[in-house]
Amino acid sequence: MAKRSGLQREVLKLYRMSIRCIKTKPPQTREHWRSFIHEEFGKYKGIPKIQFNTIEHLIRTGYKRYEMFSNPQIKDIH
Amino acid sequence: MFSLSRQIGIKSITRPTTSILSRSIKTIPQPPGYVVGTVNDAYIPPKPHKLEGSYHWTAERLVSIGLVPLTLAPLFTGVSTLLDSTLSALLLYHCYAGFQSCIIDYIPKRVYGNYFNYAMYLLTFGTGIAGYGIYKIEEKEGGVTKLVGKLWKA
Amino acid sequence: MFRSILRNQQKISLRTLATQATEKAPRIKKFQIYRWNPDTPQEQPQMKTYEIDLNKCGPMVLDALLKIKNEEDATLTFRRSCREGICGSCAMNIGGKNTLACLCRIDQDTAKETKVYPLPHMFVVRDLVPDLTHFYKQYKSIEPYLQREDHPADGRENLQSIADRAKLDGLYECILCACCSTSCPSYWWNQQQYLGPAVLMQAYRWLIDSRDQATAQRKAMLQNSMSLYRCHTIMNCARTCPKGLNPGKAIAEIKKQMAFD
Repeated sequence: MAKRSGLQREVLKLYRMSIRCIKTKPPQTREHWRSFIHEEFGKYKGIPKIQFNTIEHLIRTGYKRYEMFSNPQIKDIH
Repeated sequence: MFSLSRQIGIKSITRPTTSILSRSIKTIPQPPGYVVGTVNDAYIPPKPHKLEGSYHWTAERLVSIGLVPLTLAPLFTGVSTLLDSTLSALLLYHCYAGFQSCIIDYIPKRVYGNYFNYAMYLLTFGTGIAGYGIYKIEEKEGGVTKLVGKLWKA
Repeated sequence: MFRSILRNQQKISLRTLATQATEKAPRIKKFQIYRWNPDTPQEQPQMKTYEIDLNKCGPMVLDALLKIKNEEDATLTFRRSCREGICGSCAMNIGGKNTLACLCRIDQDTAKETKVYPLPHMFVVRDLVPDLTHFYKQYKSIEPYLQREDHPADGRENLQSIADRAKLDGLYECILCACCSTSCPSYWWNQQQYLGPAVLMQAYRWLIDSRDQATAQRKAMLQNSMSLYRCHTIMNCARTCPKGLNPGKAIAEIKKQMAFD
């Protein structure tokens, strides 16, 4: 497998963080969270890796949303 | 044979040199949006260090103020080794501090990690050599001021 | 006497009636505005041109922006609030200079285009809206509030002499619009660690406040090569400040105060 670039690793880091965060949510809503994360990441799958300014922006907003959704008071998502 | 070399080699040769350079220098990835911790945490400054802070600044200013009379003095009093070596030592420190400032500005440790250290080593090394050069000039030519005077007349 | 007043009033009302009648030729001014939409991040940012009739628009750039948003393109995004230079929301780069859109007059030369960008070297949230999160985090780090060990004996407010209060003039007026910080090249290169002119001016404002007792901690926080000493007196801050303040001078005063401690 080809060596990943720094940006690709950043994206994977954010993805792993988000997936791990599912465990802190109540069991009956976890499936919602998982599909939500997959949907959000899947939206921008087609972006060529040369467009790093776009990807950096997505990572920035991704972290902000992660911070918001990881709040334990938010229990479910649709 | 030819096709093989094209497959392996050509691409890396035709790539512009700047991109090779920028690729070989590894920078440290920065936190997204420069936000460390949550959005509501205050920014945490680097640890206080007076030698890097106020003392450094004060030394810089004192040296640059001191340089003014020292540069003018030889015009009125004539050349002396003590005056001349002080002038050249202060001038050397002045240059050192100036370059150090540039390095901190443009090769910050936060982004370049060890490259910052290498740049500082290089600067210190260069300053050392310049210091040795000044010593030699003092010994053989009788001082920087005299040398400048010679060049002026020549 | 009464009659003379009445006559004057009549004259005034007549005059206002007379000026309203004439219709002027339209003066079309072009505005080039930076557009970028986060909903379609694949698309690169671009400059979009809008045309405005200056006769039907207020005198300031903010009036033009509002007119564009109301009449031409409702998707144009920018921050604005007070429209009189006291909130600092509408800071942007107009014609190459960081300023408040509400305090910047439209250049009346219709042959030239006015270019409007968001604040330079900041992450863009959308169109003319920059991300100021880090700026506010830095502001929070200088603890911009009164810190005291003891409280006045009579249980009322902390008093200050008139001379001490006068020291704060030219500092407390800062509205944190971030025009100065984002115009500073040192802040562009090292904005993660260098606090920037706006925040440092506020640091100075609390350092010289006669009522504040945390001076030592405040100074200790700046004792490193990055926070304060990245200022090389470039003075773009003083030149760009829409409120006419001088952050460069405030930073120099901090350096002077800290020189021997």
